[in-house]
Amino acid sequence: MPESIPAPLIIDTLKDTFREARKELAAEVAEPPQHSHLGWILSVPDTHQKTVLAALDKEEQIRVLTCATEDEAATIAGGLYIGGEPVVLMIQHAGLYASVNTLRGVAMDGHIPTFYMIGLLSREKDKAPRESRHSMVRYCEPLLDTFGIPHATLEGPDDVHYIPEYYRLSRQRKGPAVVLVGLETI
Amino acid sequence: MAAGTNTPDAPPMKPEEVLRLIAAQRGTAICVPTMTTSPEWRAIAPDDLSVGCVGFMGGASSLGLGLALARPDRRVLVLDGDGSLLMQLGSLATVAGAAPRNLVHFLFKNGVYHTSGAQGIPGGLTVDFVTMAKGAGYRAVLAIHDIEDFKRRLPELLKMDGPVFAELHTGLAQQTPMTARGGVPFPEQVTKLRAKLLRPRVAS
Repeated sequence: MPESIPAPLIIDTLKDTFREARKELAAEVAEPPQHSHLGWILSVPDTHQKTVLAALDKEEQIRVLTCATEDEAATIAGGLYIGGEPVVLMIQHAGLYASVNTLRGVAMDGHIPTFYMIGLLSREKDKAPRESRHSMVRYCEPLLDTFGIPHATLEGPDDVHYIPEYYRLSRQRKGPAVVLVGLETI
Repeated sequence: MAAGTNTPDAPPMKPEEVLRLIAAQRGTAICVPTMTTSPEWRAIAPDDLSVGCVGFMGGASSLGLGLALARPDRRVLVLDGDGSLLMQLGSLATVAGAAPRNLVHFLFKNGVYHTSGAQGIPGGLTVDFVTMAKGAGYRAVLAIHDIEDFKRRLPELLKMDGPVFAELHTGLAQQTPMTARGGVPFPEQVTKLRAKLLRPRVAS
């Protein structure tokens, strides 16, 4: 059965992911950006990940920018990437559906590495997301498959390794990669 | 009111002339053109310090915001359109909330979707983007109706603390992305600008 993931575990994993990203960039380029923070979370608040967002409010090493729409978040992420900054988008499935054209235009057609954490709000604990009775849960993986976007689902604390792995994957394939958050974080 | 007749006594500014003035004074600023500012901009400033927003209409201000946050050491100039901004109007609040001091948001206001055939935008020229930007929280906002005024104000606009919003009352550009196709594809623009900013190490 899937389990909820504690917010501190996700935040520690994000920090490690950002550290690794900065280290890799420093090896690749002569003029990496010099900032005191580790990286950026671009968020359109997601009920499913609200404990993470609340904990991030107290974090000084991670900058959080709340965006009005997921279109904005994906495009701001593109600008940050061009400037050398590590970014993670935290949105929910409804926001993915709302921003498909930007996902296509910026991350896919623009070949811009873009890593998403997408909350599956209302996902039932005893059902695979594709079998959910809620269309917003059920259509998420098929939509990502349609666009050829690699994705994995966090089904418990043991799965947080997907965060750095799919972040790296977005860099390697120069496009989007997604980690779905299976149950509400705690 | 017809497109481009912004005030009874001031002919609309020619967007090409406005862009040439910006290009002459931008220095090392990163520029983000979109839609009808794109063809002329790539002719005037065919460098690798620009990245155009084409294919995700409405995204210029957000792309500029990301660049401005990543590179506070450089100015970022967004060359937006009124129809484009309406597609992501919430970005005014997001930009203002992030409060990048290095961002100048130029809005080329002509009242129409020029690229798709000059259909009027909702509300036409009566839409007051200056009030919206001010209400959203931009540090400085203004409207400019004539080219002499623009020439006077531009040096200060390029220096003052942002986010700055300047609504520029312009006529229609001579070219649109539909009449002047081509240019460097978006992914190549991304790669070139990123290389210019970060200077990748050359493998020995």
